[in-house]
Amino acid sequence: MPVDPATCDTNLSPDLIQSVARARLRKGRLLALLVYAGTTLVLAGLMAIPFFLMAGLLPWAALSALDWQGLRLLFSGTLRAAACAVLVAVPLGLAVAMFTAHFCAPRLRAWIKPAFEILDAVPTVVLGLIAAATIAPWLKTHVATLLALMVIVPAVLLAAGMAFGARVRNEAWLPLWLLPLLIAVVAVVAAVGARHDAVAIVPSSPWNAALVGLALGFASLPLVFSVAEDALFLVPRAHTQAAFALGATRWQALTSVVMPAAGSGLVAATMLGLSRCFGETMIVLMASGNTAVGGFDPLIGLRSISAELALGMPEAAPASSAYRSLLLAALILLLLTLSLNALAEIVRDRLRRRLSAGARAT
Amino acid sequence: MKRRSGDATTWVLGGATALCIAALVGLLGLLAVAGLEPLWPASVSELQLRDGEVLLGEIVAVEDGAIALRTSEIDRIGEAYRRLSNSEIVARSLPQDAITVTLVDGRRLFGRDRGTSAEALFGSASKPAAVLDSLHPNALGFFARGGVFLRNLGHFLGTSPSSSNLAGGVLPALIGTVVLVLLMSIMVMPLGVATAIFLHQRRGAGVRFVRAAINTLAGVPSIVYGVLGLGLFVHGIGAGIDHLFYADRLPVPTFGSGGLLWAAMTLALLTVPVVVISVEEGLARIPASFRDGSLALGATRDETLWRLLLPAARPALLTGLVFAIARAAGAVAPLMLVGVVKLAPVLPIDGGFPYLHPSRQFMHLGFAVYDAALASSDTIRGVPRAYACAGLLVAVVIALNLSAILLRNRLRERYRSLEN
Repeated sequence: MPVDPATCDTNLSPDLIQSVARARLRKGRLLALLVYAGTTLVLAGLMAIPFFLMAGLLPWAALSALDWQGLRLLFSGTLRAAACAVLVAVPLGLAVAMFTAHFCAPRLRAWIKPAFEILDAVPTVVLGLIAAATIAPWLKTHVATLLALMVIVPAVLLAAGMAFGARVRNEAWLPLWLLPLLIAVVAVVAAVGARHDAVAIVPSSPWNAALVGLALGFASLPLVFSVAEDALFLVPRAHTQAAFALGATRWQALTSVVMPAAGSGLVAATMLGLSRCFGETMIVLMASGNTAVGGFDPLIGLRSISAELALGMPEAAPASSAYRSLLLAALILLLLTLSLNALAEIVRDRLRRRLSAGARAT
Repeated sequence: MKRRSGDATTWVLGGATALCIAALVGLLGLLAVAGLEPLWPASVSELQLRDGEVLLGEIVAVEDGAIALRTSEIDRIGEAYRRLSNSEIVARSLPQDAITVTLVDGRRLFGRDRGTSAEALFGSASKPAAVLDSLHPNALGFFARGGVFLRNLGHFLGTSPSSSNLAGGVLPALIGTVVLVLLMSIMVMPLGVATAIFLHQRRGAGVRFVRAAINTLAGVPSIVYGVLGLGLFVHGIGAGIDHLFYADRLPVPTFGSGGLLWAAMTLALLTVPVVVISVEEGLARIPASFRDGSLALGATRDETLWRLLLPAARPALLTGLVFAIARAAGAVAPLMLVGVVKLAPVLPIDGGFPYLHPSRQFMHLGFAVYDAALASSDTIRGVPRAYACAGLLVAVVIALNLSAILLRNRLRERYRSLEN
């Protein structure tokens, strides 16, 4: 009940003033109650996940009757897919983060960061489609080309850097200069690879862990990048400037000052990327062939926990043994990702606190 | 020496950055091309084979040494693919008078137009279906093809699928996606804003706990949310509602099977962290002078919050909402557990009371991508269709995200200028 100041005169009765104040307080209390209720609901919903999974598995004694062998295969499939994906996402993500945070021109950085946000927003079902329908037929005959690219591209870049690096003072716009070189190298290697089918490595299945790794790595790249970039960018500028003042090059400042300071952030980025890979469903569902085979061969198919949940859960009757096996699989997935996330969160939190303390001190 | 090797490594970092930029551009380009291509009118080729046979049809795939040709589908869709090696083909041409007739059920018929009407030409087709359109693709110029393309696009967006998702449009999937996301937004916004206010206003162990819970659970895989949605919402709450209110219809489930409401609740749970983080950031960025001024004029803390801070953070609310919508529109895995279907007989909204039917199963654009690519009987049609759906989905999601990113950046600029 707001009071218009124009009608306020000095001899208002104290009762009226009190009742207005009381109404204001009551309204505030009501709104605060709503805030509490909403928060409680959110918390209850989120906390329901682990409790629901554990309650569904009761009684615990019957757990040993579940299909542990199948679960082991699913687990190994998840691990194999995640390992392949991390091999793509972590080196690329960390490299791009280092470049963007430390070398990049601010104007280029202002484009790269939203570009990765866009990549993060691309639904994974779309990446799964591209992997299954476009990359899989190519990879089936070009595994050797892919391996060659993974060696030749960094080697050519390193050689180019050796040859011309000393002449280029400012690396700020380097990616744009390197883009034509990169495209040329990829085109040449792909063309040579297409001619030499004889040396091709033939995977036993067109849908395999390597394919999943490529698509899944691409999907978790934005997460690895943004966490690592945040950590590197958080290092106070005074630190790098001190390094420059002592005669360090940009690269030396990065390796000797920035990386040690932000190192735990890079570890956190790796852990979060791994966690994302463990739980991703659509890509694995579409590109892995969904055959439950074990082993470490990246060129055979796999079936992951998440794909098993997506395929098996709607069919399983509640409280049946198959259903309980799936709940157990979901619980394992949850514990795996939760522990990785929690660990990464602790590491990041400590890093943030230390770096902001350092920034205040300087 | 160390200096030079270091500089060289910088080039590897720059190269990795270039690679990622190229990959992103390539990804979007591929989606744009492969997504729009199925709607572009294809040319009709006439192939003369070594054994004297003459075939008329669309070339749908080119491998080295062979092509795949789609000829007239007389009886049913997807029956008339021919794989021909180049050595079999004597001559190829694109006859100007070739005619393509598309039937309503998606079948395509090809022929040479010799002055007779299309119906007479294709009287041989058994199970006659209504003709959707007929055109002379080879005689069309670029702009005329563009016109056909726009008509096809309209048809794709505005009609229902036919022939078990191999042909026709994606309107039900589009409606399902939009209704689902709207319902999700109505649920997630009050909850997310309330939680953000709680985190913003209070201090102490409770806040730390809530924040830690949200941060760690934000990274839980979406499929686990789907498991919760199926087990708790569908089998738990839904079955309970059925026993209480719809006991006469049992054992046919009403709310006890996957449906729009449970899918929306699952997605709301999935996107709550996005809204909370966005709104909390918006509240935290409002300059302290705002709040101080309000408190100095005698407003209570709650009045300051509701009358001043929340309106000032309105763009942040909008940003959170748009990010949440974008995330929800792309989440397919949890939906597979809580009620998305390949073909829904009825839409979740219609003209009959109560207009919105939260217990109905629904179709979804993202699931249509998966279904067309992997579960269709005719992959030569299914994959282009999956790409068309994927292109549409990505266009919607990226447009939403771009607007949210721009909004957020403008907001940050404005608060920065307010502080100075």
